[in-house]
Amino acid sequence: MIGFTRVILFWAVAGTIAYFVLRIYGRSLRREALEKSWDANPPPGADAVTRAAFIEKGMADYEGSLRNRLLVIVVVLPFIVIAVLLYLMNYA
Amino acid sequence: MRYVKWTFWAILALIIGLFLNYTLPQQEVVRVVGTYQERQDLNDWTRIFWATPDDQSGTLANRDVQFIQAIRPNGRPMVYRNEDTGWSWPPYFKFDTASLQTEAEDLKSTSDAPKWAVITHYGWRNELLSSFPNAVAIRAVAGPDVRIIPWFNIVFLIFLLVVGVLLYRMWLQFRERMVDPALEDLGEIYDAAGTRVDAVRKGARGTFGRFGAWLDTWRTKR
Repeated sequence: MIGFTRVILFWAVAGTIAYFVLRIYGRSLRREALEKSWDANPPPGADAVTRAAFIEKGMADYEGSLRNRLLVIVVVLPFIVIAVLLYLMNYA
Repeated sequence: MRYVKWTFWAILALIIGLFLNYTLPQQEVVRVVGTYQERQDLNDWTRIFWATPDDQSGTLANRDVQFIQAIRPNGRPMVYRNEDTGWSWPPYFKFDTASLQTEAEDLKSTSDAPKWAVITHYGWRNELLSSFPNAVAIRAVAGPDVRIIPWFNIVFLIFLLVVGVLLYRMWLQFRERMVDPALEDLGEIYDAAGTRVDAVRKGARGTFGRFGAWLDTWRTKR
């Protein structure tokens, strides 16, 4: 039972860390893309305030996007793999 | 310095390669000729070549281990151990040792009427260290010439490569977005400090100039 608990805890922690690192990475990529798209073609009369507002709007949209939500798979995936391995190794 | 660098990377690659070679599953066509069970001492450093089937077994000085004796198509012998890996390393989650032993027993054959089987295993056979690869699965095949495609290893190594590239890209992104701007700020602070030092030096010429500069050091700077 100790071994089982250890495996579950390890992958829960590893999956959670991977989830947050991927979230930060995804947000960073999106923010950079938003900055570049604004800087490449700024609308007339644009200043730092409208730029910041555009980026914040884009980031808020990204937070709710499917891609961002799907990252939760990273937390679940190790347990699916373990379950599949358990089945294939012992019962298939 | 260049040699040190290359030696470091070569040793690192070697360690990772050996680790993967030991841990990843390999398949081999053999003919099972027998099975046996033998008590093994587990209290020296070769302990690392034996599995830890359950939590109690980690502290045992010895225990019984099952073995599968086999002959390869080239006529040379191969002996596998058959142990549960349980929940511990490597993560095969193997609990069906007794069933595997039964299947191996069922596939036993003589050289006159050979029955061929593919044994999936991990680990190394080393006579000097008495280490045995751990068999994890066995299946009967038609003959010794069957084509084996290591699907699991292909998928796993591609996955590992993707993770490696992803981590590298993450590091690049982190450096571009976080480290470089911070370094630029630091550079600007240094530049500002340098300009201030120059201004102080310029003011500190001549006796009165030097006195004035000394007085100046008591004033708050913006």
